[in-house]
Amino acid sequence: MRTRLLLMGVAAAWLLADRWEPPITADSLPLALVGSREPTICLMPNRNEYAQVRGGGAGHDIGGEPRTTGEWAPADVHGGDVMPARTVFDPYPTFDGVAVDSEAGRTFFTDSSLSSVLSYPATAGANSRETTEHETRVMGPDTGIGFVAGMDVDPQRREVYAVNNDGGGVVVFGYDQTGPVRPVRQLETPHQSWDVSISARRNEVAISVQQLSGIVIYRRGASDMQPPLRSIRGYSTGLADPHGLDFDDSRNELVVANHGNWTELRPYSPYDRLSHEPQSYQPGRFEPPSIKVFDASAGGDVRPLRSIAGARTGLNWPMGVEVDASRDEIIVANYGDSSVRVFRRSASGDVEPVRMIKGDRTQIVGPVDVTVDPTRDELWVANYADHSAVVFDRDASGNATPKRIVRNAPEGTPALAFTNASAAAYDSKRDALIVPN
Amino acid sequence: MKPERVIEGQGTYLSRTMHGIAHDEVNDEISIPVALSGAILVFRGGASGEEPPIRVIQGSRTRLIRPQTIAVDPVHDEILVGDTTARAIFVFDRMANGDVAPKRALFGEKTRLLDVVGVAVDPVRNMIVAASRSAATIGLLTFNRTDSGDVAPRTVIAGPKTGLAHFRQVAVDPGTGRIFLAQQSMREKLLEPYRLDRPRTPAEFEEAREASTGRTGPGFIGVWNIDDNGDVPPRALIQGPASRLIAPGGVALNPKRGEVYAVDGGSSAYYTYLVPQFFNPQWLGSR
Repeated sequence: MRTRLLLMGVAAAWLLADRWEPPITADSLPLALVGSREPTICLMPNRNEYAQVRGGGAGHDIGGEPRTTGEWAPADVHGGDVMPARTVFDPYPTFDGVAVDSEAGRTFFTDSSLSSVLSYPATAGANSRETTEHETRVMGPDTGIGFVAGMDVDPQRREVYAVNNDGGGVVVFGYDQTGPVRPVRQLETPHQSWDVSISARRNEVAISVQQLSGIVIYRRGASDMQPPLRSIRGYSTGLADPHGLDFDDSRNELVVANHGNWTELRPYSPYDRLSHEPQSYQPGRFEPPSIKVFDASAGGDVRPLRSIAGARTGLNWPMGVEVDASRDEIIVANYGDSSVRVFRRSASGDVEPVRMIKGDRTQIVGPVDVTVDPTRDELWVANYADHSAVVFDRDASGNATPKRIVRNAPEGTPALAFTNASAAAYDSKRDALIVPN
Repeated sequence: MKPERVIEGQGTYLSRTMHGIAHDEVNDEISIPVALSGAILVFRGGASGEEPPIRVIQGSRTRLIRPQTIAVDPVHDEILVGDTTARAIFVFDRMANGDVAPKRALFGEKTRLLDVVGVAVDPVRNMIVAASRSAATIGLLTFNRTDSGDVAPRTVIAGPKTGLAHFRQVAVDPGTGRIFLAQQSMREKLLEPYRLDRPRTPAEFEEAREASTGRTGPGFIGVWNIDDNGDVPPRALIQGPASRLIAPGGVALNPKRGEVYAVDGGSSAYYTYLVPQFFNPQWLGSR
């Protein structure tokens, strides 16, 4: 007991000793650090509007007049509009989702850092060090683009779907929209929606939802608060923190990548009251990362038709997936080891990929999504941890060199890869800030 | 700039959904709640790459569902976890590993805890600070460090003068007993449109709207004293266009250098503010 008390005393003394050293006094705080209320140095225009869709989750706004008006805070509050002494910020886009309309010759990306959707010609890119010029860029508070994740295109309707991961649902734009435009429609979806896939054959849209450990499926063209036609969720599905998904129209299947995190989902919002009802409890668990394949018409708590999982697969934070029907392949952006892994469509169990693109020459760094351009026989990979997307021959394998590189910043620009973070800790031993991303 | 180190990959058990973090300076460990797997992970302070955690708290005895926020008390060797779905604060032994029960739990109507998005501990004053949001109480709640069960908070900072609305991480400077809070928006968290996999009803949206002040605007870093109580504004504030803050959800402190770090999800950035007066025990001492 005495030893414990002594240790506590030492720790308390350590916490308090030599800790506050006024490098400057309050009165001598440089005036330069206290800015005026001019918005000239603000990084984003219309900060007030952005705050509703970026950082911390948007929700369904039913409008109405504000019931509280007037300035806040009171005038006697200290501090105020203090300028940062240091800033760590990435002014360039961060590619997340990628989709190609092969016939139209257009490639689209979501940008999760600056909240935009960009498009390029499908032949874009070079081996240049310079930034690749985009054709269109949808960006601004009216777009409804927040912490955006996966995407897909609907070639029949010439529409681009972008999924907001932290609230804001799915926003849909026309191919040629650019600038601070409103979406042609918006569809509310469950919180933590991540990817979207459009089935022309079924006239449906499927959305993966991380916290639901499930898939919700809507009629194509659904908008606003229209409910899903059905959902795939429950213990039998094996879904756990799903990310990328893709309809395989030729086989009427739906392919889903899982990270393997599972926990119960109960009502949790500030508006859901405390429950006093006894509830059964299933604790959280870690499952192996996997690729699950479902019948595309499935709904409810159903078993997958097939599951690819196990040590031989090498799956490691599998993100976007693409079905390449003509080559009979499932292609996976394998973020955890910066690779692209390709499996047979009929693969099941603990199987090795039939091929893999990996190595220093590939310039694949933290891949988040993949897509195929069948017209040009090319494979696109969107890098999250580098300011680039890399384009390969469709059958590339091994430590292959990309045919072209699309850059959203000059070569060598460090990627902060810092999106939608909401916590920090200071490590005094290393004088470092630690941020869960 | 690139980060100096990255801990990532399947072998770490981390996920893309982590809303809290704590560094234990005494034992040089990093603790992280993983919301989507109901787990607490503890890493070496110098961990890097696909390095596994040295301890994992997960399982039916833990009562964890969706842990969102975390604090470490190295003086009393405890880990405190706020769980938004369990509507509770759980306190574990710092060395807990595996499927272990919490030492204490704060839960129930009297606590006013609901959507617990921030937790901090002041081991000097023996107090816990919780940032919690509900239709009835959007505020900062303090408890005695050893409180357990359904107990009323010692103090409640809540009300229109506080400006509290949509906030997340909270930190305490034990040297001054000052609370630092990262608020993402002046508007209360909007009602998410779905309850599980079904859209909510118009009546639910109307009820949420009625509970809102209707105030809007970018967020802030706010500072209160740990013994503040009631509908009181912050004693100090960082907010405005020059601050560059849009939606700060994270806050960390370096009292020795007089620095406050704000992690801003709105601009995908972090900012360092040199505000030594915020850490001066003689400053902001009285209203």
